[in-house]
Amino acid sequence: MELLSTITFLPLLGGLVILCVPKEKVGLIRGLAIFTTAATFAASLFLLGGFDPNLVGESIPKLQYVEQLNWIPSLGVHYFMGVDGLSVPIILLTTLLSFLAAIYSIGIETRVKEFFFWYLLLEVGMIGVFCAMDLFLFYLFWELTLVPMYFLIGVWGGPKKEFAAIKFFLFTLFGSVFMLLGILALYFASTPHTFNMLELMQANGSWSRSFQIVVFIAFYLGLAVKIPAFPFHTWLPLAHVEAPTPVSVILAGVLLKMGVYGLIRISYSILPAGYEWFLPYLIIIAFINIVYGALCAMAQTDMKKMVAYSSVNHMGYCLLGLAAVSTTGFNGAIFQMITHGIITGALFLLVGVLYDRAHTRDITAFGGLGAKLPVYSGIMALTCFASLGLPGLAGFVGEFMCFLGAFAYWKFWTTLSVAGILITAAFFLRMMQKVFLGPFNEKWKDLPEINLRELIAVGPLAVLTVLFGVWPQLILGLTDPTVKMISNMYEHMFQLVR
Amino acid sequence: MLEHVYWIPLIPLFTSVVILFGGKEGKDSKMPYLGIAAMAWCFLQSSVIFFQTLTGRIPLLEGKEYFLYERIPWLSWGPNLKVHLGVLIDGPAATLLFVVTLVSLLVQIYSLGYMYDDKRKKRYYAFLSFFTAAMLGLVVSSSLLILFAAWELVGVSSYLLIGFWFEKPGPAYAAKKAFITTKLGDCGFYFGLLLLFSYTGTFDLVMLKSHVAQGLLPLEAATAIGIGFLIGAIGKSAQMPLFIWLPDAMEGPTPVSALIHAATMVVAGIYLVARVYFIYTSAPLALGAVAWVGLFTAFLAATMAVTAYDIKKVLAYSTISQLGYMMLGLGVYGYTSALFHLTTHAFFKALLFLGAGSVIHSVHTNDMREMGGLIKRMPATATTMGIATLTIAGMPLLSGWWSKEAVLHAAYSHNWGMWLLGVLTAGLTSFYMCRLFFLTFIGEPRDPHKHQHAHESPATMTGPLWVLAMLSLFAGGLLHYNGLFEHLVHFEVVGHGEHAGGSHAPAFLLPGAAIFVFLLGLGFAYRLYAGSLKTAQGLRDRFEWAADTLERRYYFDDFFLWLVSLSDKLAAACFWIDSRVVDAIFVDGWALVVRAVAAASDFFDDYFVDGAVDGMGTLTQDAGWGLRKLVRGQVQEYLLYVSLAVAVFATFLISR
Repeated sequence: MELLSTITFLPLLGGLVILCVPKEKVGLIRGLAIFTTAATFAASLFLLGGFDPNLVGESIPKLQYVEQLNWIPSLGVHYFMGVDGLSVPIILLTTLLSFLAAIYSIGIETRVKEFFFWYLLLEVGMIGVFCAMDLFLFYLFWELTLVPMYFLIGVWGGPKKEFAAIKFFLFTLFGSVFMLLGILALYFASTPHTFNMLELMQANGSWSRSFQIVVFIAFYLGLAVKIPAFPFHTWLPLAHVEAPTPVSVILAGVLLKMGVYGLIRISYSILPAGYEWFLPYLIIIAFINIVYGALCAMAQTDMKKMVAYSSVNHMGYCLLGLAAVSTTGFNGAIFQMITHGIITGALFLLVGVLYDRAHTRDITAFGGLGAKLPVYSGIMALTCFASLGLPGLAGFVGEFMCFLGAFAYWKFWTTLSVAGILITAAFFLRMMQKVFLGPFNEKWKDLPEINLRELIAVGPLAVLTVLFGVWPQLILGLTDPTVKMISNMYEHMFQLVR
Repeated sequence: MLEHVYWIPLIPLFTSVVILFGGKEGKDSKMPYLGIAAMAWCFLQSSVIFFQTLTGRIPLLEGKEYFLYERIPWLSWGPNLKVHLGVLIDGPAATLLFVVTLVSLLVQIYSLGYMYDDKRKKRYYAFLSFFTAAMLGLVVSSSLLILFAAWELVGVSSYLLIGFWFEKPGPAYAAKKAFITTKLGDCGFYFGLLLLFSYTGTFDLVMLKSHVAQGLLPLEAATAIGIGFLIGAIGKSAQMPLFIWLPDAMEGPTPVSALIHAATMVVAGIYLVARVYFIYTSAPLALGAVAWVGLFTAFLAATMAVTAYDIKKVLAYSTISQLGYMMLGLGVYGYTSALFHLTTHAFFKALLFLGAGSVIHSVHTNDMREMGGLIKRMPATATTMGIATLTIAGMPLLSGWWSKEAVLHAAYSHNWGMWLLGVLTAGLTSFYMCRLFFLTFIGEPRDPHKHQHAHESPATMTGPLWVLAMLSLFAGGLLHYNGLFEHLVHFEVVGHGEHAGGSHAPAFLLPGAAIFVFLLGLGFAYRLYAGSLKTAQGLRDRFEWAADTLERRYYFDDFFLWLVSLSDKLAAACFWIDSRVVDAIFVDGWALVVRAVAAASDFFDDYFVDGAVDGMGTLTQDAGWGLRKLVRGQVQEYLLYVSLAVAVFATFLISR
């Protein structure tokens, strides 16, 4: 079996094995799940090892680790997998976060067997989305993430879990339906009919602008829900708050990235005219996501909801980068995706750590924890500073490059968006002041320090936060050659300042 | 030494990591000595570099304005876009290396005494080392982006150190306020960086300078960038109107105030303007803004210092005021004078803070109304503080005299009105500083109990005081001698010599006026504060409204608090919209649409689909009823039908 399929379907194998284990053997199930995710992560490291970032195509992406099999010949559906500098970092992010969140999931006590089955199935879908180069296959994986997520929120979530789950499901399904229509439109518009993304990238020259715009909108509805872009973001705070901690991590860390990934891989690459038409709206949406998302975050007293809204804000930076249509902007957007996954993943874990102990996430309920929990507070402070874009930590470079890219073209909206940085700093610092600083709230005198399991889950993310902040070229080196190629694909169409 | 200058920021960086993660925390931690040793090395290296550059032992690179320029790529992407990690050592950088390492070293030694029984000593030293590393990085960086990164990192160190005693609500609040206020300024800096890059495609100072020299930067862009950077500097260097954070920052440990909020970090804004001076000289409007901001800040802060009774707050206002002088100097083409003042100010202001720390350490209060007469109890502290007071007040021939005169001279050649306000401010400075000294050290003890327990500080604390006192006395004169400093730090403005434009004063006017206001301030302070405070109290009662205004800092704080509450309301409104409007449209709206569609389809189902089904049923039934009439059990009839059918079919077949 080829490497990409191995990475994609290893979790499925693990999930099937778990199904055969009696549900009483909780320890074995957990072990198997962690082992599976660890093996998947290890396999993705192999992928990284063999990946040559400088091997890029001329006018369309040159993929590596390609697997292409006829699947449904009558419809021209292929099992077509491949990766380039756009997808490799995201795949690594996916496998890493899945592994770490699986370790954290040891804390899940109810219906352990089912939990890990759905969890592993979710991982299959996520990895598949980033590997699939056939739209049919892509859509299959895309939808495959939906059902496990529905159950993971709906069964293991908080008090309003059912509502949150169905809201998530309906929002996403609503988007997916349009995306399916878009996929079919592309299929029938191409001669010969094909779902192959690379072929479609070459076919767009013959499509009219209005056709591209209509299909772009269809895709955008599907992708915007996932990103989530204003105004399709309202499922996110609820889903995050209700989802169990490891699922929040996956949701924020990986699932949101599917939207941005799709915008580059499909919307921009296959429908450039539609993308170009949409740019003036995209920049405004980016601005709204950044400033409005940050303001909404500032209004929260629930830490988890605050972090959830901060995701809306941070994904706004990605959109800002996308609106630039330049190497700077695209690199920044991808960088931001990776670092947002790492940082926000860590933030959700850390909020979970506190919630598991105190059974509340109310910012005003604490006070002075810094003296009581120095290690926990230290990591939390590091992560918060990373999230508010402190240079030297991972959050800064991506954010700055998004701004830098967008500013070349959209001076007005980008300048206004700078306010988002200030508001982000304000709500994170306020949270830190209320929770960790000030007089110690005696109510929490028995609060235990972060334990080993949690530390193992969060520690690597904290280390990566520092590493990527100090040495950002680790990510840029992977993405830049591909991004250069991608942003030059339609040079004639996007006559921007480069 | 010079070629390994990159070690100077790196050593304290590694040291801070080692201190933070290694060793044992507690009062008896040995880690502080590691921090001091590391800083001692950095100081040694920096002073060698400083004196070699100062005396011309290390020459400028041929045809260039710098001694060293080395870099390695840090980020590279796209069509040859790069950000470098690098060092650019010119006169100001060499000077600041010396100043920063010196003050940091002295403060760390001093802290041995000041923080001797603090239970988080190790963390304190880790933060100090980290701050120094970031500050030194800011000083040497050849790239504006890295400078910005270091700029943010010193901001974080400041946050951590102001809030070092975070269990108390005051420091926790002050730390946040400092960070967010400076962050507001940083938005301007950020904007400036974005705009600069969009024109030049680089952050490298050397390349930028040559780009600007080639005229790549149009006037409007240069002005906008200059204003953006100025806003950043206003935040960091506590200029009007963003100075509100600095008085609150005094909640931090006093040695921290000396290091960060007097001598080093707060001058980062000045240094930034100096680093990109070539942009300002090409944008007169932006440079004018620098001058006016500096001038008004200097004046307003000096007036605020007049009524304050918290010894550290007076020093904080004084710092703001002196930073204003530096800004003014830069704004009136007095590049050298501003950096000269920065240097001397670092010495005497660090001394003032450390002296105040010594006093606070001894009497456990910040309120000068509870002090008085301490000169008998703390002679060393009083003497050194006295020297610093005279220096900042403008006593001729001391360090502060030379640099302040240089700034005022530059102002006079630019615009005599600016000079006048500057001199007035100098008088106020003399007044409030002498007031501080008299209130603290002279007269009768106003709190006998506290006075009783007051004692001189240990040698670890007074030692640094003496070193700084010597520098306050002589450094200015020595650096001024033979134009030594001017030779090291200068900026050739094309078409604008330092003395061009403006007016020439009679030789005696400038120093004469300065001496006059110095004596005037001293005299008033002596009259009001050296003995009983009755006259001062009387004046205060008569001008209560003025005193109130000054104590409320001209309501700048209230304005920003109002801004904060406004943004909170805005946030609440956004969230309300999000949950009640946007979400409602999507959830309830969708529900409504779905329900409407469901109702329509139900209707359709009932009347058409069901109707059709029922219709089929009825039809069959009716047909059945009709047909039944034909079937009555009569065999003959059936035969008749059969034969009829056969006949019809036969006819049909035959006729074909």
